[in-house]
Amino acid sequence: MRHRGLERDGAAPYLFLAPLLALLALFIIYPVVMNIVVSFTEWKGYGPWRWIGLDNYKAMVADDQFWTSIRNTGLMILYIPLSTIVTVLIAALLREGIRGWKAYRAILYIPNLLGYVLMGVIFSIYLRDDGPVNAALKWLTGSMVHFLIDPAIAINSVGLLLVVWLHLGFGLIYFLAAMNGIDKSIYEAALIDGASFWHTLFKVTIPSVRFAVEFWVVFNFIEVFARMFSFIQTFTQGGPGYSTFTLEYGIFITGFSKFKVGYSSAWSVVLFVFCAIISVAQIRLMKRRDA
Amino acid sequence: MKKASPFSPAGRVVIQVLMLVLVLGSLLPLYNVVSSSLKSIDEYTTNPIMLPRAVTPENYQYAAFKGLLLRFTANTLMFVPAALALYLVVCVSAGYAFGKMRFAFRRPLFLVVLFMSIFPQLLLATQVAKLISLMHLTNTGFGVILAWVAYFSPFGTYIMTTYFADMPYELVEAARIDGASQTRILAQIMAPLAMPMIATITIIGFQSMWNELPFSMLILQKESVRTVTVGIAVLRGQYGLRVPILSAALVIAMAVPMLMFIVFQRYITLGATAGAIKG
Repeated sequence: MRHRGLERDGAAPYLFLAPLLALLALFIIYPVVMNIVVSFTEWKGYGPWRWIGLDNYKAMVADDQFWTSIRNTGLMILYIPLSTIVTVLIAALLREGIRGWKAYRAILYIPNLLGYVLMGVIFSIYLRDDGPVNAALKWLTGSMVHFLIDPAIAINSVGLLLVVWLHLGFGLIYFLAAMNGIDKSIYEAALIDGASFWHTLFKVTIPSVRFAVEFWVVFNFIEVFARMFSFIQTFTQGGPGYSTFTLEYGIFITGFSKFKVGYSSAWSVVLFVFCAIISVAQIRLMKRRDA
Repeated sequence: MKKASPFSPAGRVVIQVLMLVLVLGSLLPLYNVVSSSLKSIDEYTTNPIMLPRAVTPENYQYAAFKGLLLRFTANTLMFVPAALALYLVVCVSAGYAFGKMRFAFRRPLFLVVLFMSIFPQLLLATQVAKLISLMHLTNTGFGVILAWVAYFSPFGTYIMTTYFADMPYELVEAARIDGASQTRILAQIMAPLAMPMIATITIIGFQSMWNELPFSMLILQKESVRTVTVGIAVLRGQYGLRVPILSAALVIAMAVPMLMFIVFQRYITLGATAGAIKG
């Protein structure tokens, strides 16, 4: 967007940007910088600091909860391919204009509309040991699934619900919009040639929405690293034990329940590094698309 | 006219069954919440699945008044529109500057804004809460509004920037020749033309703020100023609170978003794709 031969706009642009830049400096840049500083201190969140060098980091790498959080975050990443495959496939099916596709798209969007806080509570009721799903399972099979009590099942429930299920409605709208941009005559020609749905899916649809797929993967990484707190807080509250901790949730517990803000800031620095990498990946993707 | 389809009749049946399963997966948890909210506590323990045998309004009375859900809803309904007004001013003016004005450091500043648009709230929460408390804004709507606008503006600004950048530069040029100031150009020419995108970021901002938890939780600690999400999260954490009451609270909390969805479905659908798909 270069406008050659035109002079600059003087002070006006900076005035237009001032509210944004002031808010960002105060509520994003300053907190991030302070986090890094505080991570080298012992601090309760109030009162005086004590400089302790790398002690928080040493404690962190010796902390079982930290490694569980890292492992859990890694496990969430493993659900991203499943989320991508399921979402693209269902969007491609709806794209064919099957009967009722608009209603399906709207109904599947409801969890996205209600948000993580409400969906977390809704599923915590739904999947309790004395809840309706287990009542039905007991009646049908005679046994129950301890969704919220068995550590391995709990963290995988979080992965399946948060990464795959709760985004599905948003993903369908997103991919349907992307697929809408594909030239319809390609599909008509494929149909006349007798190409199967799968053939067109792999030869036409997926290559045409390649950028959308890449954005979807980056979006999911952002969700996993940066947007899970509200769901975990309302669905499992990190439990049982600390088996559904993620980096974000660990920061919350150590910082706000145990008042070890210096220590939780060391976790924050780790999370910051991960998010900075994701952010750079996202910016590069945008540049590539807009080029 | 019947649309040509690559699926055989049997294939179409399989797809419809699959979609029905997904729809049930989406609706059953909601059915459960609504149905449980109408049961007495005794009935829920013996009948967690089926429709209530006897409908009772008790849970709603408790959740709305003793559980303060009406109060929390009113709080959110006050804070969110006020925050949205500020958010629109910030995003539209910054988006216009990035999209249509020329100045030093435009590109690097824009990249910084983009870079910050994904930071986790938990990374910032301690220091944001501390700042708000230093400004004596803890337990005030203004405190949470500032935190929301700061946190959600980078993404709104990004969307407005791409929209303004794609608008013809001649619009600005013609107005400038007529001697209009930049503020007038934005307020009277560019912003009205950008209305569809302004509507879209309003929806995005509304959803983000309505569902926000960490900042509200730390800034709004007094019960009387809590938002819906904080209220629900606190109720969820209350040991021994019965499911029917929690369910009634959920139904009350769901009311406004559901109403919004019914009225603004088209814009919500557009909003979901803004910023990621070009054009």
